[in-house]
Amino acid sequence: MKGRNDYLLEPKLAWRNVWKNKRRTVLTLLTIVVGCGMIIFMNAIATGGHEQMITDAVEINTGHIQIHEKGFWENQSIDYAFVPDDDLLKMLSTDERIAAITKRVNAGALLSFGNNTYAAMVQAVDPEYEKKVTVIHEKILEGGRYLNVSDRTGIVVGKVLAKNLGVAVGDEVSMISQGFDGSIAADNLTIVGLFDTGNPELDQALVIMPLARAMETFTMMGYINSIAVRLKSVDDMPSVRSDIMKRTDAEEIEVMGWDGLMPELVQFIIMDDAGAYITDFILLMIVAFGILNTIQMSVYERIREFGVMLAIGTRPSQVRTMILYESVFISLIGIALGLLLGSAVSYYFSIHPIDYSDYAEEMKVWGMSTLLFPARITALNLWVTSLFILVLAFVFSFFPAQRASKLRPIEAIRHL
Amino acid sequence: MSIIAIKALVKDYDVNGIAVNAVRGIDMTIDKGEFTAIAGPSGSGKTTLLNIVGGLDYPTSGSVVVGDRDLSGMSSSELSDMRLNNIGFIFQAYNLIPVLSALENVEYILLLQGVSKKERQDRAREILIEVGLEKEISRLPKDMSGGQQQRVAVARAIVSEPEIILADEPTANLDQKTGANLLDLMHELNRKKNITFLFSTHDSMVMERAERLIQLSDGMIASDEKRR
Ligand SMILES: Nc1ncnc2c1ncn2[C@@H]1O[C@H](COP(=O)(O)OP(=O)(O)O)[C@@H](O)[C@H]1O
Ligand SMILES: [Mg+2]
Repeated sequence: MKGRNDYLLEPKLAWRNVWKNKRRTVLTLLTIVVGCGMIIFMNAIATGGHEQMITDAVEINTGHIQIHEKGFWENQSIDYAFVPDDDLLKMLSTDERIAAITKRVNAGALLSFGNNTYAAMVQAVDPEYEKKVTVIHEKILEGGRYLNVSDRTGIVVGKVLAKNLGVAVGDEVSMISQGFDGSIAADNLTIVGLFDTGNPELDQALVIMPLARAMETFTMMGYINSIAVRLKSVDDMPSVRSDIMKRTDAEEIEVMGWDGLMPELVQFIIMDDAGAYITDFILLMIVAFGILNTIQMSVYERIREFGVMLAIGTRPSQVRTMILYESVFISLIGIALGLLLGSAVSYYFSIHPIDYSDYAEEMKVWGMSTLLFPARITALNLWVTSLFILVLAFVFSFFPAQRASKLRPIEAIRHL
Repeated sequence: MSIIAIKALVKDYDVNGIAVNAVRGIDMTIDKGEFTAIAGPSGSGKTTLLNIVGGLDYPTSGSVVVGDRDLSGMSSSELSDMRLNNIGFIFQAYNLIPVLSALENVEYILLLQGVSKKERQDRAREILIEVGLEKEISRLPKDMSGGQQQRVAVARAIVSEPEIILADEPTANLDQKTGANLLDLMHELNRKKNITFLFSTHDSMVMERAERLIQLSDGMIASDEKRR
């Protein structure tokens, strides 16, 4: 017998039932649309904000990847230095995914001016290359300048360090440290500029000096402490990192990505994501209970109708399927509109990022230099949000649907 | 040849541990083509009897044979199939699926039976014309009078030409004249298609129109007379 197999029966009935109580359906849709839209927008802001924070942090100083002698990052000592081999340098300069690289000497030092002495982190760079990797040269305060290729003893220092020392552009400071060979390294250096990165750690300790001079002052003999690599896309970090690792001896050289270089940032992103997931969860529950409530109301109102349907030979499974279709239809419409709303709002905020510039000082307390938070919509966000709502709608409607299908017709027909 | 054979039928309901004897030993047979009314005061067991014959409820004891099927051995899905294919139901009121038009409500049974779309629509339209609802074919239940809705229910019950049509107080929510017209329609279909009708009522106007009248009292048959 062919019977009972008209697959269009349940969806057709369900579709009409969805629109029978327009007011209720529209209210439910509103819950889903707003909930879905908010989840998408919040996730887009989180994704965009985190990416911005990574980009900013990477651009200010670390780069996407750094190459050191093994142990340097942990000990932060000039003693961990290496001479990059030609094979590695050739790869770094030819790889399509790499935008630029810069070689650095890093040393802890004491800076003195008059009676003031402060600890500092000296980072010696070749300004021509450094400018392609980091953006400190864009953060120079009025009245000063960044290093240029002809600078011998010029340095730029963070504005907080300058204030602590009581120095201004043009002043000469003395630096004392230890050289690579263990000797005392001392030099007199002239401030040519001050920078304000917004990152408190850098602003109160970083000193940038010419690499050529540092080679002599610290007796480096051709050794360097790090190579910072800037990529064209942050997404390539893991693959480039592993390609570099293939060309270097893991016993001697460490290759670190931005996540390894800035574990606090990773930690912050994880915590922030956890907060976002909790909010997502609450919104999803609101949406799910909205759907549950609607389906339950509509099932309760139609008990008699289900009784008649079951009495005249409708299969319980057909009743259940019909109700599940109702829930899925409402959810699909809600999701479609919610995707539109969420994407539209996110799109607006991708062009007009949320601006925290007015709170710059408060943000610094948190060690954050990022002030503009753009939204970024990802396919994953849209898919995961849609699927979650759809699955929850299905699960939450299953029990009312199951109950309706298990009704005893004679009792249901007596029901008012 | 009998189409319904009931032997020693007993139905007790358990209400908070107290047995309510709704049907207390009924024997009866109904032949194909009969137009029979079950009468009796409220609480006499009419609905219980019809529900058991229709496979909507199980007897406490006794046997019910509908056509050649002994209902006592049937599973709930076999009973569901029997209700779909062999029995037409007309309830007191709110028989119809609210979101379906008159035509679609009648088609619904055929759809469940897997009849093709064209045949479904032709047969449903034809039967609606027969019950006098040509103009109401595409109306929703809420846009029809109570009498018209009951006519759609009659059309739905009869469209698949079942062996029996069971109607529990089909006129109870209608006024006298509309009720009489509905019963005349049922009687006409009964004669024309030779379909067995078994309906309950406590309305004397309806009883008058029955060919056979079975009176129930306290769950037992008080009288059983052929009128014509
Ligand atoms: N589901 C039920 N549970 C308990 N008692 C019931 C139930 N259905 C019917 N009864 C009782 O069975 C008796 C017969 O009821 P019913 O068959 O509905 O009579 P009628 O249709 O003639 O009014 C009544 O006393 C009624 O209260
Ligand atoms: Mg009754």
